[in-house]
Amino acid sequence: MRSSSSPAPRGTARGLMRRSVRALLVLAVTAGVAVAAPAATGAGAAAPAPADPAGAGAATPYMGWSSWSMQSSQYPGLNPDGSYSYLTEANVLKQTDALAAKLKDFGYTYVNIDAGWWMDNSWTPGYDQYGRQRPDPVRFPHGMKPVADHIHAKGLKAGIYLPVGLEKGAYGDGKVPILGAPGCTTADAVYPDLRTTNGWDSAYKLDFGSPCAQAYVDSQAQAFADWGYDFLKLDGVGPGSSRSGDNYDNVPDVAAWQKAIAATGRPIHLELSWSLDIGHAADWQRYSDGWRIDTDVECYCNTLVTWENSVNDRWNDAPAWSGKAGPGGWNDLDAVDVGNGAMDGLTQAERQSYMTLWAINKSPLFTGDDITSLDSYGVSLLTNREVIAVDQNTSPVARPVTPVGDQQVWATANPDGSYTVALFNLAGAPASVTADWAALGFTGNASVRDLWNKRDLGPYRDRITEALPAHGSRLFTVRPNGRTLATTGYEAESAANTLGGNAAVAGCDTCSGGKKVGNLYDGGTLRFNGVTVKKAGIYTVKVRYVSGDPRSVTVSSDGGNGTSLPFPSTGDWSTTATVSVRLALKAGANTVTFDSGAGGYAPDIDRIDVPTSL
Amino acid sequence: MDIQPGATPADRPGTTGRRGFLALAAATGAAALCGLPAFTASAAPLRPARSPLLPAADAAKNQLWWQAPGSAGSMIGQGLPVGNGRLGALASNDPAAELLTVTDATLWTGGANDTLQDDGQFPYGRDDFGSLTLLAQLTVAIPGHDLGGVDGYRRVLDMAQGVVTTTYDIAGVTYQRQLFASRPDDVIVLAFSQRGGGSYTGTVSLAGTHGETTAADPASRTASFAAALGNGLRYGAAVTVSSSTGKVAADGGSLTFTGCRDLTVVLSGGTDYAPDASAGFRDPSADPHALALTKVRAAARHSATTLLDTHVADFRAVFEQFGLNLGTSSAAQRELDTWQRVQARWRDGVPDPELEAGYLQYGRYLMISGSRGSLPMGLQSVWLDGNDPDWMGDYHTDINIQMNYWLADRAALSGCFDAFADYCLAQLPSWTDTTRRLFESPANRYRNSGGKVAGWTVAISTNPYGGGGWWWHPAGNAWLCHNLYEHYEFTQDRDYLAKVYPLLKGAVQFWEARLLTTTVTDASGASREVLVADSDWSPEQGPLDAKGITYAQELVWNLFGHYRTATQVLGTDTGYGAAVEALRDRLYLPVVSPTTGWLEEWMSPDNLGETTHRHLSPLFGLFPGDRIRPDDSTPKDVLAGATALLTARGMNSFGWANAWRSLCWARLKDAEKAYQLVVTNLRPSAGGSNGSAMNLFDIYQVEQGRGIFQIDANFGTPAAVLEMLVYSRPGHVELLPALPAAWAAAGSVSGVGIRGGFVADLSWRDGKVTEATLRSVGGRSTTVVAGGAVRTVDLRPGESVTLRHLG
Repeated sequence: MRSSSSPAPRGTARGLMRRSVRALLVLAVTAGVAVAAPAATGAGAAAPAPADPAGAGAATPYMGWSSWSMQSSQYPGLNPDGSYSYLTEANVLKQTDALAAKLKDFGYTYVNIDAGWWMDNSWTPGYDQYGRQRPDPVRFPHGMKPVADHIHAKGLKAGIYLPVGLEKGAYGDGKVPILGAPGCTTADAVYPDLRTTNGWDSAYKLDFGSPCAQAYVDSQAQAFADWGYDFLKLDGVGPGSSRSGDNYDNVPDVAAWQKAIAATGRPIHLELSWSLDIGHAADWQRYSDGWRIDTDVECYCNTLVTWENSVNDRWNDAPAWSGKAGPGGWNDLDAVDVGNGAMDGLTQAERQSYMTLWAINKSPLFTGDDITSLDSYGVSLLTNREVIAVDQNTSPVARPVTPVGDQQVWATANPDGSYTVALFNLAGAPASVTADWAALGFTGNASVRDLWNKRDLGPYRDRITEALPAHGSRLFTVRPNGRTLATTGYEAESAANTLGGNAAVAGCDTCSGGKKVGNLYDGGTLRFNGVTVKKAGIYTVKVRYVSGDPRSVTVSSDGGNGTSLPFPSTGDWSTTATVSVRLALKAGANTVTFDSGAGGYAPDIDRIDVPTSL
Repeated sequence: MDIQPGATPADRPGTTGRRGFLALAAATGAAALCGLPAFTASAAPLRPARSPLLPAADAAKNQLWWQAPGSAGSMIGQGLPVGNGRLGALASNDPAAELLTVTDATLWTGGANDTLQDDGQFPYGRDDFGSLTLLAQLTVAIPGHDLGGVDGYRRVLDMAQGVVTTTYDIAGVTYQRQLFASRPDDVIVLAFSQRGGGSYTGTVSLAGTHGETTAADPASRTASFAAALGNGLRYGAAVTVSSSTGKVAADGGSLTFTGCRDLTVVLSGGTDYAPDASAGFRDPSADPHALALTKVRAAARHSATTLLDTHVADFRAVFEQFGLNLGTSSAAQRELDTWQRVQARWRDGVPDPELEAGYLQYGRYLMISGSRGSLPMGLQSVWLDGNDPDWMGDYHTDINIQMNYWLADRAALSGCFDAFADYCLAQLPSWTDTTRRLFESPANRYRNSGGKVAGWTVAISTNPYGGGGWWWHPAGNAWLCHNLYEHYEFTQDRDYLAKVYPLLKGAVQFWEARLLTTTVTDASGASREVLVADSDWSPEQGPLDAKGITYAQELVWNLFGHYRTATQVLGTDTGYGAAVEALRDRLYLPVVSPTTGWLEEWMSPDNLGETTHRHLSPLFGLFPGDRIRPDDSTPKDVLAGATALLTARGMNSFGWANAWRSLCWARLKDAEKAYQLVVTNLRPSAGGSNGSAMNLFDIYQVEQGRGIFQIDANFGTPAAVLEMLVYSRPGHVELLPALPAAWAAAGSVSGVGIRGGFVADLSWRDGKVTEATLRSVGGRSTTVVAGGAVRTVDLRPGESVTLRHLG
């Protein structure tokens, strides 16, 4: 489910929408006693232990397992009792035991039950007498609390799931009472016109103008706290989840959940899904601990995922969010299904690249694999402590430092002066990929540590080039031993430049000099004149730009044809970022031209910085 | 001007110790380029007494290199080609999964295909006409060498020595593998070694591509298969693995190796094809499977070093007959690998003379690898990635096979031309028979109106079994004869001329029977009788049935002239030769359209085709013919009309079409246009777009997102580079007729073939020839034009002369 209803032509998870109109069974729910979660244990001293033992604050991206990838797959044998039927107490406990045995020591602590715990195998939901989701007695014959207890007993944390809003099936005739809110019924919690909300329109939108709405959320949160859950994924949240507009603005819901969780007194991590609107990033940061930036990674096919289905979308979609993540809230790239090649549906190279991108983006690392049958390569990917540390350390989220064509270089500066550098080849054929130290801001030697192969590769002068297989990657720590790169800056707004077409100087608070050149579309051009170097050669020129979405621009020097280069999004039209491009410059004055091309839309350009020497 | 006659050729710029190696090569017997186009037992090669390997610094001058391998899905654009003139392979050079797609030039499906369809076309399917297909796929799986754990990957194509060397590091061990296709040993060799205490463990698998079953023999550590195609062609392939350490064993149909510090893999194979129409193009006595086993076992008795030395001695001797220096590239350019350089060349617009010279040498490398001792090179030569090459990988006779061989004599590869001539000779009985039986078929829209047919011609496509595909192509015979005759012009080899004379004569007889008499009215209003070609199609556009198309008129005019000379040289049929000369004088020749200002393609003032059509058929007289010249011999209006037509055809086509345009602009001495088209063909191909793939194979985009490899531009573009440096026709040589500014500073070329029987070496500075040496390979006298200077050179065969202070 989840983004299964998104426009992407995939899958059958629309099953969530199927529901019978039969009368709700009213079941008494035994309210459990809230049990304090045990402190995370077992992480060795060298392990990047989650810094969030209390479950509050999301100091680092969470790690664990989720049920959805296997639920959503048609891989033989996973869902014998119909779509999504993998989700059962027995399977959750089996995975819990495997996680505890194999991955807990590496920081994987969350066992997250995804959609369907209140659905029978024909995907018909059940609710209690207060309109709250009721565990399906076939899937979870002992209810949800014993499951959480088992998870806790293994030193792990328990996660659960809900769609946002008041599910239509919970509404009754509007007369279902809300627990702990005398006088409130479900009709009081929603709008009188029963406007629908969430990514599947499967719920009525809660009207927080009425205290009954908060009371309803409070009652749901209390159930989770009572059962002992430490994590909630709230799904179908808008703006996002392929929805926009007032009815799908679930910011009040998310705020209500934060409040409700606080009221329970139990720390519960609140994760939002899916394809959250970046325009509301501040809201997600304020009210939640993490947000899915993209559609489902799952393919709803005979494997868990496929490269083309949407794993590879993340390279395009993640850069916009790079500035949004940090302690307290992380960019969630969805499940990291790299543990078993046959089930994952990926090559070894693809699996390594997948894990690499997640780590450098500091995405939560939760696998959707069958942990009882990881292959040895999968174990090596999921348990590489150096790579996990990239995900969990305090460095900023990495960004592309080159244009984002088939070959890409991403990097981030670490507090100790080193850089984490990832090389990617997204092409369907092998290619070499080069990281120029100049793109990181220094020249000369640097020592290179290969994180995946756990080897020191020794010193590399000015750059490292590696051969990457189709969809392959490398991940390095680069420690500069050279000197800072001296550059000469040229402002886009300089009067010495030549603007063509509609190109125009515009104000930009975050830009160097407070100005940029925009309106680079449909043949609009910006030509820097008098870009001067002493010696002819091929230079790594740093381009500072602004682009609210991914855009391409043809960059050329002097009389060259140039290259059409895709620049990653900076997230919005007021945030700058840089990428480096390679250009030949002759001794003396040169031109450097940014051309949007006929019918094209290019990023706004702030400035370029040209090395003073090769 | 100094004239310094000398009895021996001087050492040429760009070559290394050439004379020594000529002697060496002669000792191996490899200098004799002409061989039987069949898979046969060969005499034991003579092994070089000392290592012929070039010092690293010398070898570096003719190397291309890359920092990534290919993969099974990217062989056409990323596989590196090797070949021994008959066997060819594309190699992925993937450390963990070396893949070779191997073929033999004769591994063709199809047959005589001598029944016309109702519409007059020859069938053109993979079963009837046939297709070149793969012989085998060889994989060497080394699971511990996954690319993800490899550092410093590099593969180098050494064009001068004919070796692909792959090196990479894993955890402090440097691994190296060398790949070469040896002509003396008639095998393909993969030699694995390492430094630093590493070893190889893995599997060698030889797989057929037509459903063959491979069997391994533990005793001899060979794996092999034998099979026959549906057309009865029998073939076989074999591989053997050896190591001085570790363990080699058979495992099912594969060979395994464990803990080997070195490893040598030797492959051979072939077919029972025979270039003999009377034998149905088969050698019933051949046993290709047994022969393949014999050859790999014989080779494997020698060390990898010995096999390499033997191969390099053979290959160098051919490669080094020619050298080229177009100028010095920058340090920044030299730092880049070949693919980065191709990309930077296009991106930055900065000339890269070493890359551009390397591109020419790559064409020579391909020709040495693809055209020695077997069938000639078709649309892809011997480099396939599957069994369904576009257009069957066949011989297209309306430009493509001709372009493939324009480079040969110009670039000191006259020996490689033999495959072309031998092919035509072997096909001649079938072509003659088919022409006699089928050309006058009522279904054939191009049949002779007069009802009589003589001699031979071909279809647009030809196969190696005497068969044709697509439409009849009446002027195809004259097109082929142009190449055949030019080879004589370059070599002045009278015996050769006598050998191909039946081809020339048969083509002439065909046209004698086909030409029609008609009356035309000149611009002056005067009427005259002329001879025109019967209904024909100007390739591959416009009306299907036009009489007197320029393409045919020019080709026949050219053919008749060559024939006349041939009868005089050979002293045969001289009376007939004179009669043909008289017919030639009556041929209609194209005029300039008053409507378009272009030389007419059809006998019409109207443009009946596509303005920017790829073919330059009506400009045959400009190139490769030389009836139309930018001098006083050509009426000004004709020259202007040809120039206008070439201009209208545009500067932005693809591969071979750009190469042809470049050759024509070179003939018109427009150096910058000619150069621009070379640069355009060097544009990096992305997503199948027109240009050069990573391995420099020329890619033709047939539809959005789908590019196909057509090798003709890989030869035609280098031919254009040479045509920019030297123009020649018998008795006349021009040096640097179209030297672009990018190469003007300083450069040199050695070994350039000169029509009329000479070989030229020259060097230049600031756009002017500083020194030129002409050596006679049979020519007696020629004028030499350089700058403003005109000199006359008289030499006896074997003599040379050095000219200085020209212009």
